[in-house]
Amino acid sequence: MSTPARRALTAVALVVTLGLTGCASSFPADPDGTLDRVTGGALRVGISPNGDWTDMTDGGEASGIEVSLVEDFAEGIDAEIEWIEGGEEKLFTDLAAGRLDMVIGGLTDTTPWTDKAAITQPFDQVMTADGKTVKHVMAAAMGENAFLVELEQFLLTQESAP
Amino acid sequence: MTISFGHTPLPEKQKDILKKAIRLEWITIGFLVITVTLVFLVLGNSQAMKAAWIEDLLSFIPPLVFLVAVRIARRTPNPKHPYGYHRSVGVGHLVAAVALVTMGTFLIIDSSSGLLAAEHPSIGSVHLFGQVFWLGWLMMGVMALIALPPVFIGRAKMKLARELHDKVLYADADMNKADWMTAVGSIVGVGGIGLGLWWADAAAALFIAGSILWDGIKNTRAAIEDLMDMRAMTFDDAKPHPIVHQVDDYLRSLDWIADAGSRVRDQGHVFHIEAFVVPRQPREISVAQLDEARQACVDLDWKVQDIVLVPVTELPDVVTQRRTPSSR
Repeated sequence: MSTPARRALTAVALVVTLGLTGCASSFPADPDGTLDRVTGGALRVGISPNGDWTDMTDGGEASGIEVSLVEDFAEGIDAEIEWIEGGEEKLFTDLAAGRLDMVIGGLTDTTPWTDKAAITQPFDQVMTADGKTVKHVMAAAMGENAFLVELEQFLLTQESAP
Repeated sequence: MTISFGHTPLPEKQKDILKKAIRLEWITIGFLVITVTLVFLVLGNSQAMKAAWIEDLLSFIPPLVFLVAVRIARRTPNPKHPYGYHRSVGVGHLVAAVALVTMGTFLIIDSSSGLLAAEHPSIGSVHLFGQVFWLGWLMMGVMALIALPPVFIGRAKMKLARELHDKVLYADADMNKADWMTAVGSIVGVGGIGLGLWWADAAAALFIAGSILWDGIKNTRAAIEDLMDMRAMTFDDAKPHPIVHQVDDYLRSLDWIADAGSRVRDQGHVFHIEAFVVPRQPREISVAQLDEARQACVDLDWKVQDIVLVPVTELPDVVTQRRTPSSR
């Protein structure tokens, strides 16, 4: 076999072995270690009230479809939720700056905040009044892929997931 | 069927090679359609994957240019186009090269700004065949799958490019041969994201963009030099084409010629030659002699498409200077 072809094979083999062996336990990994930190620790969730999906009482009591989902997810990784209420712009700025771990608020997969957050796979799909199908998603901190995959694995196993 | 380049009918061997080259370029296009679709499906947020995808898209240009150029170059010379249509190859070469430079530059700016802004690329999960797994695995799998075939296609094309003296085919083959580096680059980039190294992706993209830009600069230079009528070089621009010496040697071997020197321009696949000859007895040369020598030169090689013999008393500087070793 030719030399460049052999070199290519070696490089591919190296990367695959690297991925499968030493690093398989934490692959993909978080550059900033979000999943490690929230597991058994505090999960900072930004919440923007939006109908049945998310709501917040004056007393700081969170409720709604997404709130129950996040509560179930947090229980799975033994995390304590810290709710932070705010408008979307404020929440997404905080998420991009690393002051939040995730944001919920009835977001859909057409959300314009893709520059500031990692958008999850949809966990629900609903028909709007004008007959369009809308997929509902959550937002996680950009590039924290271990945390993102952990959250998505939880969301995709929901019965409501499309 | 007789296949000609201009008014040169191709020898049997070159005819077969041309057919093979055309078939290989169609295979390349088919392969690229599959590649571009597969990579697009798993693109995600990886800069390196985006760069690799754009490179695959750009890879469509050389085969298309080749297919169009060989078609146009076949037309016979006519009063409006007395030199034939061979330059279509050079024009195609330049267009393809400039496209590479533009995209290479764009991708370098794009990935450097990602690196400078410390953007952390997100790659999530994918739900496929009832399994949920990290999309990065799929990306690396696809890139590993498409890494090698272009290397073999490129090697096959390289042989044909030599026989056909086709620089577009050469540039295409050269790029295909280096294609595995793009695939490996994006595997390293995505693998780096997996390891938690956010910068690995943009760095890999920068490497891919650099290779696209380098291909572009190399080819732009070669295409411009050909269009500027640089002396004819071999298909890979490595050394002056041996046909120049063959023509000079043949003419000098004739007993009525004292000295000969020619200047040769590469029209595409074929050469146009102006040969200056110094007759031993200037008063005694005949039109028949000139005609015979001219025909013999054309018969030397199929690439000698058109040759003009000019009797002179002294060889012009440009053809005598070449005999002393000189730089390009």
